[in-house]
Amino acid sequence: MGQIMKTKMNTTSFFRGGIALVGIVVLVLGCNRGPANTNDPPRAELLPPAASTASPTSAGMTRLDASAGSKIRLEGTSIIHDYQAESSLIGGFLEVGSNFPMEPGQVVSPGKVEARGVAFVTIRSLRSVEKDGRPYSDDMDDKMWKLLKQTSFPRIVYHLEELTLKEAPKDKTAPYLFDSKGDLAVAGVTNKLSMPVTVMPLGDKKFKLTGSAPLKMTDFGIQPAGILVKTANEVTIKFEWVVGQKKPASAATKK
Amino acid sequence: MNENETDSPEFNRRDFLKSSSVTTLMTMLGGVELFAPAVQGAEAETKSSGPKINVAVIGLGSWGRELINTLTVLPQANVAAICDNYPSALKRVGGSAPGATQTEDYKTILADKEIKAVFIATPTHLHKDIALDALKAGKHVYCEAPLAHTIEDARAIASAAKAATQLVFQSGLQLRAEPQRQFLVPFIRSGAIGQPVMASAQWHRKQSWRLAASNPEREKALNWRLSKETSLGLIGEVGCHQIDQANWFLNQHPVAVTGFGSVAFWKDGRDVHDTIQAVLEYSGGVNLTYNATLANSFDADYEMFYGSDAALMTRESKEHEKKAWLFKEVDSPMLGWEIYATKNSFYEETGIVLAANATKSVKAVKVVEQSPFANTSLWHALDTFLRNSNDVIAAKEDFISTYGTDDLNALNEAILKAQKVKHPAAGYLEGFHGTVIAVKANEAILGGKRIELKPELYELS
Repeated sequence: MGQIMKTKMNTTSFFRGGIALVGIVVLVLGCNRGPANTNDPPRAELLPPAASTASPTSAGMTRLDASAGSKIRLEGTSIIHDYQAESSLIGGFLEVGSNFPMEPGQVVSPGKVEARGVAFVTIRSLRSVEKDGRPYSDDMDDKMWKLLKQTSFPRIVYHLEELTLKEAPKDKTAPYLFDSKGDLAVAGVTNKLSMPVTVMPLGDKKFKLTGSAPLKMTDFGIQPAGILVKTANEVTIKFEWVVGQKKPASAATKK
Repeated sequence: MNENETDSPEFNRRDFLKSSSVTTLMTMLGGVELFAPAVQGAEAETKSSGPKINVAVIGLGSWGRELINTLTVLPQANVAAICDNYPSALKRVGGSAPGATQTEDYKTILADKEIKAVFIATPTHLHKDIALDALKAGKHVYCEAPLAHTIEDARAIASAAKAATQLVFQSGLQLRAEPQRQFLVPFIRSGAIGQPVMASAQWHRKQSWRLAASNPEREKALNWRLSKETSLGLIGEVGCHQIDQANWFLNQHPVAVTGFGSVAFWKDGRDVHDTIQAVLEYSGGVNLTYNATLANSFDADYEMFYGSDAALMTRESKEHEKKAWLFKEVDSPMLGWEIYATKNSFYEETGIVLAANATKSVKAVKVVEQSPFANTSLWHALDTFLRNSNDVIAAKEDFISTYGTDDLNALNEAILKAQKVKHPAAGYLEGFHGTVIAVKANEAILGGKRIELKPELYELS
């Protein structure tokens, strides 16, 4: 009896540590359908820092740069407990054409809008957290980063390829509802990702993009079974990405 | 006065009660000692997170050398520079830090942008200028305890550290970073020893503190601890750590201190006492009696906390294990798990071993483990400082690489957020309070008198 109990405690302890870790990995790795293109170049590591992501804006397009106030959260489950990781840093940019709704309540016809962009999350900024947002575990973070091959692929990168307006808002306080298509690159593996995205114009050429998507670890080559913990393959990624038009340098808050 | 730690996350009563009740339940159900996975404690302790940080050690006396020896086994530390104004010290220590730049001028280190953090281990009275300059130069600072030999200097250092919101400042009150003692804080605060009634601590060694020097000038510099002009004596150089632990455990500061001291044995011309006693009074009638000597080594060092239900002993044994014991009164309530716990004999008493292996264990509802941490409190303090520095450095770098530097307010917020979730350790406020107590206790010892420690004395600004 004693031995059984001892074993039980050990297993539980292990789950507690290993699972959350795996979960986070899953969160990030697990991605949407589509075969993993393991030979794709790791675009995450090719992406320059924010200051120089300024590829020339296409003619007729408006560039919206990432700004503070964003949040990404990864959520998963296991046989022991739920786990989650968060970061408040989502970098990158969005370029939109003239048929993109720039003001709250602006009348825009449903259909494809001109848009392209890149969003990225520095893996090191992803931290395991308790449900209430308190830090969870350093060890967990270390393991998560390692599984995400942080040293070789320091960023998770999403390339937006297509944006389609599904539904215009009923009033100025409601967001625009889009379908998006793009590529998600994690740990050297790129997968297609489709997900609904809402866009809320905040005024002053600022926008909040919100979305979530179910992901699968195995789509990115992560095998939960290999980590000896019964963790669900599915995870959910949730984000709020704030982008806006940069003010001229003279008007910026730079000191 | 409440002992509020500097931005340090604390264990709370709920966490402790949650973990202890589960442990009790599991013990009663299973009837076995509660073991965590055998490797977990050691594993968690030996690997440290984060990339390497270039650090420098300023002051290469015996403690500076101890810092270097510890840093060299911490994977995230790269000792990139060492500094001492005495060339022979540089030469002697150079071998312990191969590849490190050697300099006699600490400002050379502060000018090096690649060095992110400095450890200040010079004589206490020389801390201030170096600490202020280091913070001004944007370095994360680990400053040995006590922070200074005067309250004014300590206040200047702590105020500068408080203002440097983007930098990590850790004072050398290293016991606060040790998991074993961290484990005991919620234990004692949740009433496991009953109502605290008194405390005691001692530090006993047979050593002179005098170091041999090649000439009178060097002799004076080297033996700064033996002159009351530059030294706070035993209460400052050693006692401040143990008194800080009492403040922490009792969650308050002393309201008065009475001291006595003498040069009882080492009558070699020194004016710093080699034997001292002090009584520190806390509110609620709890007193801490402290004694230290350089003339006798019996029973080395330990701290005792006496309550109406049990006494608690903490000590860092030679084996660096089993660092705390509980001695229960016969009429005290059963905690549940103690009948299964390991016990050791002390004189005619039997102590129940209290062994924790990690902060996380408490939160993860795993309490009593039999694989206690093996590393020293210094190891844990330096590891914590490096982890915290790494986190703040990463927060800044990641923000800038994500959003650039246009929004300085948001950048500051991101760094402050990283500061708020630092791993527990003694910050500038604990360092300041510890120094205030050391200075006043030394004053009481030198004068053989009682000194009231009014609340305003502990105020930083």
